[in-house]
Amino acid sequence: MPGIWIFAERKDLALELLTIARGLASQAGMKVTAIVPDQGDQADIYIAGGADEILLLSALGEDMSLDAWIPVIAAEAKKADPDLILLAATARGKDFAARLAARLETGLCSNCIALNREEDGTIVMERLAYGGAAVQQVSCLTRPVMATIPPRTFAPAPADHGRSGEIRKLPPPPSSPVRVIARKTKERSSQDITEAKAVICVGRGMAKQADINIARQLADLIEGEVGCTRPISEELHWLPDDLCIGLSGVQVKPDLYIGLGVSGQIQHVTGIRGARVICAVNKDENAPIFQAADLGIVGDLYDVTPNLVEELQKATSR
Amino acid sequence: MPNIVACFKWVIDEAYIRKSASGALDFSAVDYKISDYDRNAIEEAARLKGLHGGSVTVLTAGAPETAKGVKDALSRGADQAFFANDASFNQLESSQTAAILGEIIRSRIPYDLIICGEGSSDQYAQQVGPRLAENLGIPCISYVQKLTIGEDGRIMVERRVEEGVEVVEAPLPVLVTVSPEINTPRIPGVKDTLMASKKPVVTIKKEEMQAVGAARLQTIGMTATRMERNCEIFAATPEGIARFVEALQKKGVIS
Repeated sequence: MPGIWIFAERKDLALELLTIARGLASQAGMKVTAIVPDQGDQADIYIAGGADEILLLSALGEDMSLDAWIPVIAAEAKKADPDLILLAATARGKDFAARLAARLETGLCSNCIALNREEDGTIVMERLAYGGAAVQQVSCLTRPVMATIPPRTFAPAPADHGRSGEIRKLPPPPSSPVRVIARKTKERSSQDITEAKAVICVGRGMAKQADINIARQLADLIEGEVGCTRPISEELHWLPDDLCIGLSGVQVKPDLYIGLGVSGQIQHVTGIRGARVICAVNKDENAPIFQAADLGIVGDLYDVTPNLVEELQKATSR
Repeated sequence: MPNIVACFKWVIDEAYIRKSASGALDFSAVDYKISDYDRNAIEEAARLKGLHGGSVTVLTAGAPETAKGVKDALSRGADQAFFANDASFNQLESSQTAAILGEIIRSRIPYDLIICGEGSSDQYAQQVGPRLAENLGIPCISYVQKLTIGEDGRIMVERRVEEGVEVVEAPLPVLVTVSPEINTPRIPGVKDTLMASKKPVVTIKKEEMQAVGAARLQTIGMTATRMERNCEIFAATPEGIARFVEALQKKGVIS
């Protein structure tokens, strides 16, 4: 029986994908299949989350890479002929999806942010293009339709413990020439800017690394966190890359965002679109950030920020 | 000595895209560039040639105006270029691009290592590299931020994943897609540009290739992202900054 497949390497991602699958399945009367790593009794969580069938992947060897599963899942998909396959748009997930799509000779919508089923059954998918300047709508002309969904785009599926489903184990993967020889977990910055209520963003207008303290002072005052644009983390290495805000970095949604010396390239603006109030300090009145901002100060951040700190201190102590 | 192929795409520079009064995308003033991360791919190929010798071939599929991009790529340390050229090639979908590049590599370019950018600046679908590897039946390692070729004919790479880094090794031939952290692309000088004109370019017409299959993904619409914010500008004077802070209070974002 055709249906909707989801594949994710982690539980939180699988539950987000189940939200979409369950919504579509209830419209179209389709079966939902979750392909997930075998981690003990977790299958029940996915059944409660909306899956009718669970295909379990046996644990991979320490030196095996996630993509070892591609041939196994491709073979299953060729047999079962699902209508739609959803994967999480993580680094490994995107690579996995593109290679699976090549094997299944079908189209793939990468980084899909919205997905709707038309009356005729066509699935219309939305994604960002041109660094976030445009929204592209696509449909897939071949079967199965495939999409990768960025993490945290959809809420995790709520549990419905009355549901039931089948559980089946997939055959083990063939050996792969790719070997993982080490996994290094990065040291996370102590702050999590994706959850911050206020974000002060450091841009290229900042002249030296020590000056980030100016931003930090402002952030401390309004109980916010410091983030940065791509050149600051990638080229200058002044801040770790998990603080880099933008299309290929993190997306933030604070109540207040203040960009200090941020020019406002489209890729960066895409990462702050969810902010409630966007403010910018930049000495170039033509900087694109002012088109994306609610409030702006045209001036040198080195002159403006100390004054701003002082005024904020006055305002917040009243 | 490795034969290295670096693939690139000649794309619209998104910084020049305007939004018309009606909200439609305005491409009238656009300029073109080698897609950002593809510049890292070419740079990495040139860097590896500097260490190990061998050859660097750049490869692209595009419309005739991509010739400018071919010259740009050759000025970045490549030895030769292959250019699949057809007016229809500015609208290729990832699966089609991968098929064209795959056919050219298979039939004309000896290779040990293929390097692609992690995704293009225009579509950022991040599919051509992995799909190309599948077409050629070779391993693919994506999002590589550090690459070493060992003497045993294997490569060792660090790939960026959500939790940190995976150190991975694989035998050549292999395809990697590179992230911008891997290097800083050079800015070609006048001499590089002059030398680029003398390097061989093999142009391949659509008729010389197997029929390019139909697109599997169809673009139904492309609209400008709405960013409806009316920026109120304040002067950088003490009075202006005081009014700015008042405005923040009115919006309820500071207490």
